Amino acid sequence: MTRAVQFLQLSFRLTLLVGLLPNPSASALGADIDFAHDIRPLLSENCFFCHGQDEEHREADLRLDTEEGLAQVITAGDHTESELVRRLLSSDPDEAMPPPDSNRHISAAQAELIARWIDEGAEWQTHWAFSKLVAPPIPAQPSDATAPRRNAIDAFVQAKLVESGLSPSPEAERATLIRRLSLDLTGLPPTPAAVAAFVADPDQGAYERVVDRLLDSPAYGQRMAWDWLDAARYADTNGYQGDGERTMWPWRDWVVNAFDKNMPFDQFTVWQLAGDLLPEATDEQKLATGFLRNHMINGEGGRIAEENRIEYNFDMSETTGTVWLGLTMNCCRCHDHKYDPLTNRDYYSLVAYFDQTPVTGAGGNPQTPPLVSWPSAEQKSKDEELKAAINEQRAALALISATVAERPPRPRTKLTDSTLPLCVTGLPEYQEAKQRLDVLQNEQQGLEKQIPKVMVMQDLPTPRKSFMLARGLYSQPTQEVTPAPPAFLPQRASSHGTDEPQNRLALARWIIAPENPLTARVTVNRMWQQFFGIGLVKTSEDFGVQGENPRQLELLNWLAADFRDNGWDVKRLVRLIVTSHTYRQSSRQTPEQAGEDPQNRWLARGSRFRLPSWMLRDQALAASGLLSPIVAGPGVNTYQPSGVWEEATFGKKTYKLGTGEQLYRRSLFIFWRRIVAPTVFFDTATRQTCTVKTARTNTPLQSLLMLNDTTYVEAARTLAQAALRSDASDDTQRLNFAMQRVLARDASPAEQEVLLAALQRNLHLFDAQADPLEILSVGQSPRAGELDAKLHASWTVICLAILNLDETLNHE
Amino acid sequence: MNPLQQYQRHLSRRHFFGKTATGIGTAALASLLDRDGNLRAASAPNDVRVPGLPGLPHVAPTAKRVIYLFQNGAPTHVDLFDFKPRLQEMHGQPIPDSVVNGRRFSTMTGDASGKVLLAPIEPFAQHGQSRAWVSSLMPYTAQIADELCFVKSMHTEQINHAPAISFLLSGSEMPGRPTIGAWLNYGLGSETDELPSFVVMTSVSKGTSCGQIFYDFYWGSGFLPSRYQGVKLRGSSEPVLYVANPDGISRQMRRSMLDDIAAINQLKANDFGDPEIATRIAQYEMGFKMQASVPELADLSQESAETLALYGPGVEEPGTFAHNCLMARRLVERGCRFVQLMHAGWDQHGSLTTELYTQCRDTDQSSAALVMDLKRRGLLEDTLVIWGGEFGRTPFLQGDIANRPLWGRDHHPYAFTVWMAGGGVKPGISYGATDELAMDAVEQPVHVHDFQATLMHMLGVDHERLTFKFQGRQFRLTDVHGHVVHGILA
Repeated sequence: MTRAVQFLQLSFRLTLLVGLLPNPSASALGADIDFAHDIRPLLSENCFFCHGQDEEHREADLRLDTEEGLAQVITAGDHTESELVRRLLSSDPDEAMPPPDSNRHISAAQAELIARWIDEGAEWQTHWAFSKLVAPPIPAQPSDATAPRRNAIDAFVQAKLVESGLSPSPEAERATLIRRLSLDLTGLPPTPAAVAAFVADPDQGAYERVVDRLLDSPAYGQRMAWDWLDAARYADTNGYQGDGERTMWPWRDWVVNAFDKNMPFDQFTVWQLAGDLLPEATDEQKLATGFLRNHMINGEGGRIAEENRIEYNFDMSETTGTVWLGLTMNCCRCHDHKYDPLTNRDYYSLVAYFDQTPVTGAGGNPQTPPLVSWPSAEQKSKDEELKAAINEQRAALALISATVAERPPRPRTKLTDSTLPLCVTGLPEYQEAKQRLDVLQNEQQGLEKQIPKVMVMQDLPTPRKSFMLARGLYSQPTQEVTPAPPAFLPQRASSHGTDEPQNRLALARWIIAPENPLTARVTVNRMWQQFFGIGLVKTSEDFGVQGENPRQLELLNWLAADFRDNGWDVKRLVRLIVTSHTYRQSSRQTPEQAGEDPQNRWLARGSRFRLPSWMLRDQALAASGLLSPIVAGPGVNTYQPSGVWEEATFGKKTYKLGTGEQLYRRSLFIFWRRIVAPTVFFDTATRQTCTVKTARTNTPLQSLLMLNDTTYVEAARTLAQAALRSDASDDTQRLNFAMQRVLARDASPAEQEVLLAALQRNLHLFDAQADPLEILSVGQSPRAGELDAKLHASWTVICLAILNLDETLNHE
Repeated sequence: MNPLQQYQRHLSRRHFFGKTATGIGTAALASLLDRDGNLRAASAPNDVRVPGLPGLPHVAPTAKRVIYLFQNGAPTHVDLFDFKPRLQEMHGQPIPDSVVNGRRFSTMTGDASGKVLLAPIEPFAQHGQSRAWVSSLMPYTAQIADELCFVKSMHTEQINHAPAISFLLSGSEMPGRPTIGAWLNYGLGSETDELPSFVVMTSVSKGTSCGQIFYDFYWGSGFLPSRYQGVKLRGSSEPVLYVANPDGISRQMRRSMLDDIAAINQLKANDFGDPEIATRIAQYEMGFKMQASVPELADLSQESAETLALYGPGVEEPGTFAHNCLMARRLVERGCRFVQLMHAGWDQHGSLTTELYTQCRDTDQSSAALVMDLKRRGLLEDTLVIWGGEFGRTPFLQGDIANRPLWGRDHHPYAFTVWMAGGGVKPGISYGATDELAMDAVEQPVHVHDFQATLMHMLGVDHERLTFKFQGRQFRLTDVHGHVVHGILA
């Protein structure tokens, strides 16, 4: 068969295919086909594994991930002349691509799309996330717009929404809004007074004033810190066998303060990656680098120290890659990335930045140097006081010695090793002074031991030679590498002089350089995910070609550029997001939305998703009034069923429950044992390796925890007690007292009917079936003895039900 | 699985829950209207089982469920199952260099050349019609030899415990991949709405010197949704965390409370239209069911004295291996798909002549009892039982030949034995073989990925087709390896 005939047949088949397509997508029918959106994902998913950048596994010496490579198998403008299309449609098992046994498949419709893209000129584009970050123009408002347009976010979202056929939702009720906002910005529910004031405030700027008040609240930093701690794999122990305790909490408190003070994100970045390398680095700047040292430490005997050290370097590099660049680097330990333009060499060039510390990898002491001392203000002044007193005492001693020396010499019987003659040290005034000095020195040494020492970064005076490692094995170095950012990404234009060393500081400056296309996009996306439950790019951990192609790319680009070009101002970014109409929409789903957009990717409504478990706990503590005001310091142990640590560690670690207010600290301040995380949380990051997106599941075990854990039962009984002791004059008012604290609203008539009937039923059941004092004894906080036990217990059950309502569990 | 399937599955799950759970809500509302102050029966029956993926099983399954008796620490194949007369003959002689061949052993052994060979510490005999060789250390296992398929040519790539266990159970030595139980749970769904479908129980022999920790990634779901991870039953009176009502809350009070919550949630669902609310209602219902089914599961009072005696000493004591074996039978009877028992202490670096005896005594009888008990109840034919560790132990001695009380064997990745029973495995055979010193798997070697592929195959799953996209690529249990070992299939 001649080639011409082949092509004719091919064209015929394609024509048939078009006719057969059941529901051709919009792009397949009308608008131009977009390489980045429509074509690359197909090639990446089905072809790059063998025809990508990994040289080791490349078949037929053909690359389809580059413009040049692709050009070898296509003829722009004519698919019939393109080998690629021929192979995709071939029925010959030896020729067909992807090979039938590869478990990959390109459908006829997809092949048609590729053919059309070729016919339209086969225009190639850089992957969207790696392309230069430029703010796109803000879409103009259509004349028939119905929804409010409060800022640029709404302009982008509403312009895009036109394509979907969906319409924006109206703004949520005020009570819903202030609860949403309070939980999002502080992780705590609003107080009834704050709700009442906002609901009654007719002023146009009322909402923005609430936003500003919450952004200024110290609870803001505590809320923002959680997600950062997940990413930073923060924990209070080392992990692995032994799981020794460490002291990283001063770093955690530093993160809270940094968010509170609205430290610009570029500075936040530089300090954590390279604070120690800044000129005249302060202790605070060194402390910030604890970020990198939060990795697990393996203290098992018999482990090879160098193997550990290399593991730590990998962890630091991969964490940096995920948090700032949204790149999945770990495959490049062994080979070039299958999909992204990251090479094996790039990986080790990045590792080389972190390969310069004096850490040896040897186990033993959980706090492995380098360390920074981090005294509290009290400890600091006490230390200075003691040091001054020591100096004073030393001076006094010297004076005594000098005075004695001037006296006429007495006959000596014996000389000691001491520089002073025995006669001086034997004097009572000398001995007294010496004793005082000893006491002071002991006290100072005791204090020194108590001062927290935090693991931080530091580089060796002479750079260590760094090597690529075959299959990531510490024992198999191959070629030498020097520190460098991934080669495919743009270099930094601005410079701190030509003699600037390629160290972590240079890396940090490259990461925040305006030329870097990833940092701002990745960061803004994570922030969006925090408030909408899902990122504009759903794969917040992967911005590579296998990550999600964002539907709202223009919005993401605009937000990222705006963030970068306005001083990396985090509070400004948060304010922008939460003051948009997009954020303020009601989360009610119309049947149309539920069918068209179950995941709310078009953003035609507010986001509704289950609150993280740590926030559920804080919400219950705050609503009941139990929440401790202490918001710093070493992690504490809260309620946990007995034996969990003991079982996991064969009895080597004993759980010692905290006391008093410690039981009611915010979740952020709970001690995190890495090999067995606090059981009161679910769906959290493991805090073993970097996590930027946690799962959100819905399981029966969660329901058992929410209904039966001491934390929630005690919160319910305390809330009930508050309702009974309030000035509420009837049961409906008492019910609303509790509802207001948890849900920021009164109970509806239907809810009143259900819950007040339940109250009567419980009053019957207590005594008949259970001793009311039992439920009132759950948890350590004291019970108000003057309350009728049966009444109090019955209200406790009502409050526990309120704490378990779907609305309570959700970001509404 | 491609993203479209993932999405469709999500839809079908929502649809599924949407349908059934609306039923509950309506029932709850109806019962509410009828309420006259008296207690009433629980809401209408409903089904909250997690469905499997469309298109699965890929092939007709021979096993519906698995009980994996995982022996942490690596049992010594040389002393228990892999009998080598030549090793007896060469007892006390240095291992030939040609056998060592510059291979890597643990840092405790380092270079193996010159190490002294050690004969099995107890005699072997042949048992049953199959004439299988079993050590006298395992008398009960010997009695059921005709039910068992000994795979004597297992081999792995990992030399330390945690990485090797992770490799066997998740296909990767690094933590963070889904384990076998999670994959099966995800692919095949669950058969019970009253108990978790993937259950883990751990135990350790008393007085063992081993300090191995049961890391939770041994039963993790990796990048699969966390609902697929194993649920660890605790060795205590409360096997599932938070399963008991707080003091002072009766079951009837809880029932009514859940109806109240469901009624209000249903109002919310009607108003907001979020199908996830229906799922929430259903999950609270399943939690309620578990509150009854878990204590019922743990209540052995209906087991006959004969059955209890079959499993041996300690069977009534939560946290022992014997107890866990009986619980495993009770779990699969109640629809649990994957039961993973993990028993630590098999790490005889210097305790072959001491702790190995305890270790065998604590596991031999109840392992055999489980197989027999399943068989007489008709469960063995579609339940796969697996017994084995993460690698084997060296045919050569670790320690001093003159100091018998401290004899030991080091880690040995090159060969080990695993036995299987039921679930479509050929009974009464030995598959594969090691060389004359039990050093290398030389005949019909079975790599860990082959073992995994075969296990999946018995459950009706094509290991190459059960995949999940994560960080930009499709992952599967067996990475890019693994062949089904057809020779052991009945």
